[in-house]
Amino acid sequence: MKEIYLGVDVGSVSTNVIVMDSDNNVIDTLYIRTKGKPIEALKMGLGQMKSRLGENVKVLGLGTTGSGRHLAATMLGADIVKNEITAHGVAALNIVPNVNTIIEIGGQDSKIILLRDGIIYDFAMNTVCAAGTGSFLDRQAERLGIPIQEFGSLALKSKSTVRIAGRCAVFAESDMIHKQQLGHNQEDIINGLCEAMARNYLNNLGKGKELKPPVIFQGGVAANIGIKKAFEELLGCEIIVPKYASVMGAIGACILAKEEVKKRGKTKFLGLNIADSSFNVQSFECDSCPNMCEVVKFYRDENLAARWGDKCGKWSNVQISQNDEKLA
Amino acid sequence: MAIKVGIPKSLLFYEYYPLWISFFEGLGAEVIVSDDTNKEILDIGVKASIDEACIPVKIFHGHVINIKDKVDYLFIPRIKSLFKNEYICPKFSGLPEMIKSSIKELPPIIDVEINFFKSKKHLKDTVIRAGRYVSSSNRVIMSSYNRAYLEYKKHRKKIKEGIINELTGADIVKNNIVDVRKVMVMGHPYNLYDSYLNMNLLNKIKQNEAKVFTPEMIDDKYLNKYVKDFDGELYWTFARKLIGTALYLSHKECVDGIIYISTFGCGIDSVVGDIVEKLIRRNSRIPFVHISLDEHSGEAGINTRVEAFMDMIKWRDVLEDNISAHG
Repeated sequence: MKEIYLGVDVGSVSTNVIVMDSDNNVIDTLYIRTKGKPIEALKMGLGQMKSRLGENVKVLGLGTTGSGRHLAATMLGADIVKNEITAHGVAALNIVPNVNTIIEIGGQDSKIILLRDGIIYDFAMNTVCAAGTGSFLDRQAERLGIPIQEFGSLALKSKSTVRIAGRCAVFAESDMIHKQQLGHNQEDIINGLCEAMARNYLNNLGKGKELKPPVIFQGGVAANIGIKKAFEELLGCEIIVPKYASVMGAIGACILAKEEVKKRGKTKFLGLNIADSSFNVQSFECDSCPNMCEVVKFYRDENLAARWGDKCGKWSNVQISQNDEKLA
Repeated sequence: MAIKVGIPKSLLFYEYYPLWISFFEGLGAEVIVSDDTNKEILDIGVKASIDEACIPVKIFHGHVINIKDKVDYLFIPRIKSLFKNEYICPKFSGLPEMIKSSIKELPPIIDVEINFFKSKKHLKDTVIRAGRYVSSSNRVIMSSYNRAYLEYKKHRKKIKEGIINELTGADIVKNNIVDVRKVMVMGHPYNLYDSYLNMNLLNKIKQNEAKVFTPEMIDDKYLNKYVKDFDGELYWTFARKLIGTALYLSHKECVDGIIYISTFGCGIDSVVGDIVEKLIRRNSRIPFVHISLDEHSGEAGINTRVEAFMDMIKWRDVLEDNISAHG
């Protein structure tokens, strides 16, 4: 029987599930689009992973990360629920132990993580606005009718520079349309967009920070070779895109779960068969006070498993059933 | 029946409420403070206010609507300058006008101008003009002001001792867990103490086993001393306080982390926040993170930043302990 650990990253654009053995080797990875339905995406992801793994495995632990990490932990039972920054840092250190800088661009977030001597030393995330992240690239690819997978290689074909305004996604889009109506090549415009994104990222997040090599580029957008090239030109150093760049968050959560299980001795994971359970949510607006919190009720196999979303704890703090289940 | 004076629980209320409340109460008025910020106040405020305003000003509109029909007067002073040679955010000096143009059917507004830019000589005039709405005796008004000022001084002293009145919604002393790390949360008072606006940030930090400090807890005499090292014009009162805090902290290195919160579109923070970050990073090794807020109500973003920041502080601790253990 093979002993494995699972890492789950429920992000805004993608939901990733990865499997590792006890020696931190990645055995299998899965990247699916969340499509705004994290519960279905995760159920599907776990179901697919379950059939890929076969019968002969034993899951010793599970960790979750991503903006949907608490939801995932409630669904599956998690040993650790970790923020994306720590998870990405841990994963990168595991692959390039002397990494000094991590560029991470996901669907909604972009982050810069600076490490020194194997610890996270400083980080920054995009502010209230999600411009310049994967979801914006997605939207532009869709608008231009190009599959997102080909976006980067098209940019590499560019022969001349077209400058695109990078400060704001709305500015960028209107600038792209202006340039396109002037008759510029699509490759050049796409390349201009890649450069604008890299420039915007470094101005925003890299401002005042020392970006020392080795630099790792990870997150869903790392698959875009055009942006990798733009970063290399701007930073003047080689950018490492790890083999599992798009699922690094899940790898970090998995490593942390393993450490946690080692400490605690047993896992909280509810088992791979949980993929066959049905999950439902209902939400309502609590009218007990003017905050009118949007409370979510989460059902597993028709049984109420958790509630969250209230500020006062009236709903989330109440023990729900004899099974002692609560939001992690 | 006593005259009812309404004070919106927003903006500089968080700094001056003991002074304001006890001043009007001393004159025999009944003071009605608006509710804690909640979703309803946020929603009506955003709807009533002009679009370009920052979220604290929008919330102020909500607080005004929350109490306007329950009071005889609304206290919305036109604050231009609180200290010599220092201005306050320009939105504060336009506040009474902004409210009058955006909100209909208002009670009369006590909109006395507070402007101590040149000197505090006309403090007495200012106080009497505000008091005249409720009392006709200058003697009563001044003695009520003097008592209120003592109340305010007492309150400031309590804050410095780490006790923040529950009225502000930030019960800093009630820590149920062992305090192991110290985190300074910097920002304007109305961002720090409005726990709805900042999505309960102070408590989120406390839940991560840390003790929370705010710039108000540092004695003004230290701030004023350290801020002298700043090479530049301070211009705003908020700038003196925050830059003074930054210089004090980077000199003393007495906290384990600094979180700066600002709201989207804040003009002062676009300058001061940057200066603070530079001073701290240049002069110290204290971890620093800048969090900006707007009307988002999903807490995932802020939770991620706080958790990651606290993880980073703990992780750094481990490393530094290791170094000292090995000499």
